[in-house]
Amino acid sequence: MKNTEIPEIYSIKKTSKETLAKWYHLMTVGRNIDDRAPNYLKQAIGWSYHAPYAGHDGIQLAIGQNFVKSKDHLFPYYRDMLTALSAGMTSEELILNGISKATDPGTGGRHMSNHFAKPEWNIHNTSSLTGNHTLHAVGVARAIKYYGDDAIAISSQGESSVSEGYVYEAINGADKEKLPVIFVFQDNGYGISVPKKDQTANRKVANNFVGFKNIKIIHCNGKDVFDSMNAMAEARKIIQEQGGPVIVQANCVRLHSHSNSDRHDLYRSEAERTYVQEYDPFAKFRRLLVRYKRFTEEELDAMDEAGLKEVKAAHKLAMKAPDPSPDSIYDFVLPEPYKAEKYPDGTHNEEGEKKKFITALNETLKAEFRQNEDTFLWGQDVAHKDKGGIFNVTKGLQKEFGKKRIFNAPIAEDFIVGTANGMSRYHEKIRIVIEGAEFADYFWPAMEQYVDSSHDYWRTNGKFTPNVTIRLASGGYIGGGLYHSQNIEGSLAAIPGVRIVYPSFADDAAGLLRTAIRSRGMTMFMEPKALYQDPKAATVIPDDFEVPFGKARIRREGTDLSIITYGNTTHMSLDAAEMLEKEGFNVEVIDLRSLVPLDKDMIISSIKKTNRALVVHEDKVHGGFGGEVASIIMEEAFEYLDSPVRRVGSTFTPVGFNRILEKAILPDTGRIYSEALNLLKY
Amino acid sequence: MEKIGIFYSFNSHKTKLIGEKIIESFNEGEIEAVNAETISEEDFLKYNRLILGVPTWFDGEFPNYWDEFVPALEELDLTGKKIAIYGLADQKGYPENFGDAVGLMADLVRKCGAEVVGETSVEGYDFERSKALQNGKFIGLILDQENQARLTPERLNMWIGELKKNF
Repeated sequence: MKNTEIPEIYSIKKTSKETLAKWYHLMTVGRNIDDRAPNYLKQAIGWSYHAPYAGHDGIQLAIGQNFVKSKDHLFPYYRDMLTALSAGMTSEELILNGISKATDPGTGGRHMSNHFAKPEWNIHNTSSLTGNHTLHAVGVARAIKYYGDDAIAISSQGESSVSEGYVYEAINGADKEKLPVIFVFQDNGYGISVPKKDQTANRKVANNFVGFKNIKIIHCNGKDVFDSMNAMAEARKIIQEQGGPVIVQANCVRLHSHSNSDRHDLYRSEAERTYVQEYDPFAKFRRLLVRYKRFTEEELDAMDEAGLKEVKAAHKLAMKAPDPSPDSIYDFVLPEPYKAEKYPDGTHNEEGEKKKFITALNETLKAEFRQNEDTFLWGQDVAHKDKGGIFNVTKGLQKEFGKKRIFNAPIAEDFIVGTANGMSRYHEKIRIVIEGAEFADYFWPAMEQYVDSSHDYWRTNGKFTPNVTIRLASGGYIGGGLYHSQNIEGSLAAIPGVRIVYPSFADDAAGLLRTAIRSRGMTMFMEPKALYQDPKAATVIPDDFEVPFGKARIRREGTDLSIITYGNTTHMSLDAAEMLEKEGFNVEVIDLRSLVPLDKDMIISSIKKTNRALVVHEDKVHGGFGGEVASIIMEEAFEYLDSPVRRVGSTFTPVGFNRILEKAILPDTGRIYSEALNLLKY
Repeated sequence: MEKIGIFYSFNSHKTKLIGEKIIESFNEGEIEAVNAETISEEDFLKYNRLILGVPTWFDGEFPNYWDEFVPALEELDLTGKKIAIYGLADQKGYPENFGDAVGLMADLVRKCGAEVVGETSVEGYDFERSKALQNGKFIGLILDQENQARLTPERLNMWIGELKKNF
């Protein structure tokens, strides 16, 4: 069955013999690998995850054929083997990925098998979180549109993953911004064992989006090469002529189980399994070629033979390829940051007028956006004429840099983060600052993109890193209650691949923000919102101030006790130190500034001097980052301690709204003072 | 009555069964069965009265064998031919595309000049959308062996009666 509403550019009668031969070759090679992949597992060589594509042949060939390498951006999903082959990857490269070799071009054996990628051609390495790359496709399409490129982004996924909320966010955003992106839904009727009737009411999930204003929806027979080619060509034409986006719903069949860890005979009847086999797209294509006298059986047999020979040769080469080295595991966790050469320790002796914390952020953003025209900023509520975010941190940015660089995002945190990841894929020079959520408390919906982005650099074996700074107004002391007072850095710090900074003074905020924006990789920039306007956090700030990551700062020198802290509690710790000085104790206060990376050297050298340590933060003691700091001290400086390491932080409860509750929960100067005194007298 | 060609897949089950019942209701020599899986243009042009067995597969598609014949079919001149279409479909499992293939085939052969005969009433069916629903009636006969097998004999007999008048 074909879609008669789209122009028929390709058909069994019209398409040139040369093109048909190319397609047949790709399809026979693809099927050879698809059919042989389970053997690698049976022989304990690898490919422990294989999701066969058989049944999706038409649409996958068409996606690859409509992708222009190094120009377009392709986001395949884990079933897209023929897509990758048709897009230009070789049989050897597919097998290298399957058996997780160091020379696998997409991931070097780090990511799961059946995730085919070649980042240098813009065939992106995507997550196993199926459908989450829709946001990346939208983000890169935003860059394509901004820079006036005539490329397109193609995102491919199974129909069941359209149930994910972030897919809706992606399509909504692409529709709103009219972005050049094609979303391909390869509908084989199942999400593993779950039939599509359990996913959504419409049997063709693309029809869920008919009410969207700008998006065009094309249905095609994903089992048919010609209909799929016509659908993809039409989708591209629509984008070129009218802007985007387009959904291509390709109805496929799944000839086999979901993967090699699934048995479809447990949930599909024999009749159904036979029924789908009868519509094997590859067998159909072969019959058409013979029936319409485009090729003889003998010619096709010869092409089958050539395909098999190619796959066997690729197998031999892949088997000889090197395995990844265990020594390489620390490579590409985080890229090298911008080197702060003017202020290597992140300190200064500048004199003059003090500026508030919020002014430091605002002026640094403006300065960085002036010096790099490939900078962008978005978030909720951040871009109005006289307003810039709930706290006005970004005030005036849109006015100075325009609506294309500074703009509001929908209330969709995952979209905010995911499209930042995607946009930064367009070019290495792009730097993006996002307000991840209005308050840190609202960041949780973005966690899947945060986690996914955290391991992009590692997962691609160093080939891609999202150059994104995420700003979050964090912490309490404002009477904000459960959704405006949380500290989330303790949870985030457990995830490798993202720098986390948490300044407590205006100059450090400026210096760290500058370094974050200029660096490759992702930085979580936590802002203690209670300090935005607080005179205590105001400092003199050199215009070009830079603070390197992983450099703590001694805010008060001392010899009797080290208080290791960051954020709001830096100021409380300094106040407590003042109180203790009156009692004859000389307390050192270290402001960590960076949690990841952590300045272990400064912590240890301070302990060697004071022999006592108190770790203080606003976040919960239970599971808070202080546990990591305390453990490091115990492991690396135990011999220098004259007392136990103690921690002060908030209680293991939510933060209550009533000021009485808030005070009972969050740490304060009094608690720090009394715990410090206990340690000093121990 | 001119000789009728009835086309259905000889490897199918329900579609074949219905095809055989249709054959039984005509006199010997009035109707000939042709396997739709190995059909040729010549087979199709040989008859001026045709009955096509076109079940709906998946979400509103032709079976592979009809699909593969479409490139040939759409170039045939079917002027002067009367064509009746029946198809098996599932109104509960696929209410959005109930019997679509019957409608698709009707559209196709009409474009080639044929007259489609054998409309039936939609009464007694419960579905959401169908490409076979044209001008308030089904353009052919749709049988639902999954959910309304009991009604099949009556529906079939009525349809054959109509065909005998039309053919």
